[in-house]
Amino acid sequence: MAPRTQREKTIRRHVAIYAGLAPFLLIAVFPIYWMAITAFKQDPDLYRMDHIPFWFNMAPTLKHFQTLFYQTNYGAWIINTMTISAWVALITLLTAVPAGYALARLRLAGSENLGIAIFMTYLVPGIILFLPLSRVVASLGLQDSWWALVLVYPTFTIPFCTWLMMGFFKTVPMEMEEAARVDGCGQLGALIRVVLPVSLPGILTSVIFAFTLSMQDFLYGLAFVSPGDQKPVPVGVPTELIRGDVYYWGSIMAAVLLVGLPVAILYNFFLDRFIQGITGGVVK
Amino acid sequence: MTTASLRGGPEPSARAAVVSVPAPAIRRSWWRTHTAQRHIFGYTLLAPAALYVLLLVGAPFLFSLWLAVSDANVGDPVAHFIGLENFRSAWEMDVFWIALRNSIVFLVVAAIFKSLLGTSLAFLLLQNFRGKKLIRALVVIPFTLPVAISVLSWKWMYDSQFSVINWVLSRLGLIGTYGSESWPVWLGQPALALPACIAVNVWRTFPFSAIVLLAGFTAVPLEVLDAAKVDGCTFFQRFRHIVAPMIFPILMIGFLFDTVFTLSDLSVVYLLTQGGPANASKILPVLAYQIGIQAGNLGRGAAIAMMLVPLLLPAMFLLLRNLKRREW
Repeated sequence: MAPRTQREKTIRRHVAIYAGLAPFLLIAVFPIYWMAITAFKQDPDLYRMDHIPFWFNMAPTLKHFQTLFYQTNYGAWIINTMTISAWVALITLLTAVPAGYALARLRLAGSENLGIAIFMTYLVPGIILFLPLSRVVASLGLQDSWWALVLVYPTFTIPFCTWLMMGFFKTVPMEMEEAARVDGCGQLGALIRVVLPVSLPGILTSVIFAFTLSMQDFLYGLAFVSPGDQKPVPVGVPTELIRGDVYYWGSIMAAVLLVGLPVAILYNFFLDRFIQGITGGVVK
Repeated sequence: MTTASLRGGPEPSARAAVVSVPAPAIRRSWWRTHTAQRHIFGYTLLAPAALYVLLLVGAPFLFSLWLAVSDANVGDPVAHFIGLENFRSAWEMDVFWIALRNSIVFLVVAAIFKSLLGTSLAFLLLQNFRGKKLIRALVVIPFTLPVAISVLSWKWMYDSQFSVINWVLSRLGLIGTYGSESWPVWLGQPALALPACIAVNVWRTFPFSAIVLLAGFTAVPLEVLDAAKVDGCTFFQRFRHIVAPMIFPILMIGFLFDTVFTLSDLSVVYLLTQGGPANASKILPVLAYQIGIQAGNLGRGAAIAMMLVPLLLPAMFLLLRNLKRREW
């Protein structure tokens, strides 16, 4: 008798939890589902109200993807996005990793305040900085090129990743470094040969964030880059695929699906690190 | 001690000054000490990041202050000091007050909804059940999707004629058919535009609230809770004296972050309505962008963006206090 009631209890509990979660799942996932099905629907199927719209009423099509790659700059935008992200990741690594190490490990005077000061700059919103930065970009002759974004995106990736690396380096045992010093490594040698190799996961995380945080930007891309072939995807799609009042919803959804989904999945794996990062490592 | 000269000057310029001074004998021997070597090494490693942030965040911020009190515009690069003229003319614009009010309404209403949704989701995700990892991964998608991309998906769902939301409501009999009086045009009706934008912000960030809350709960050590239980603490005592003090700092940081991001984000409103119709959904960042970049009036745009600072400062200040209390 006992095991059955126990089992019933578990089942009942599960049903209650799933029932509670169902609305959340629905509101979280439905827009993505809608995005996906729109991308594969034929236009006559898309623009009608008499059928149930949640499934294909006509055969699915790849036409919207073809339009995207053959008639727009979408291919260029993807390449731009990747190149920008790669440069931003490189700049971030070269600056944030050493800075994080110095702040976490070298017992510098005022390192705690310096660390917080650098992190706080992550919070200075782009909407306050974009007008002066537009002047900086113009005076460097970078306006109308994606290089402008390579210059400005590190303003938020460096503070965030420095903070992240700071927390990370604190978890590397001091003894490893000391052992290396005893064995005759210099300060730089200990950093490069001993600390960096064991910090690879942290460094990888920084690269991912340099990429995903760059993808979250819209304002800088909108303000600094206007030629059609220089834009990154999140800016190119809404500004170039929407022409006046004509919306090519099939192509627009195809465009955002193709880039948004991989980024969302990638970010998903690192979300806990992000939360840990901003809550200041209070969470172990 | 000579370290004092370094202590006050973490900036690379201070360090450079020390280096360039022809070192007297005593100082030279100090150079060789372990501490000095460590500091030189440390500040050298720190310099690139500090310089980048100083040059591209610190300096632009100050420059923004200057723009706000100048008559700078795109056509005329030579700016003159005009005092508080930009602020005064902003105050005389009706649209400025509308945008300010909308920004505050946006922030408060969105915060209420996302904390309600986030808390319920967090409590559900605290339970143990099958498929938890998968469900969690699916539920956080709105937050991990790049913002410009998810907003476009909503723009399509809010379409004036082929809105899927309206399709469902119409089939349920809650609204009439297309073209009838009761057919809502989400982004085209003044009464609906701002709520529609707020809904997208809530949709995007409620998973964030939930995850931050979850992180807070998992930071509470179970042994402490059990010990308190053994000692006869009631549920409320345990919540009041153990759980609340431990999760509060984390919650606070999450909340403050969200405040800063929500107040300064322009992408949701800009992509959905551009602040329309008739300024019904205009918020300060959108107004600052339109005046600063589209109308080319850099000074006035900067002044309007600066009006966000008094709203942001309390959040930043509290955040700073919370971060400083963090355990090192």
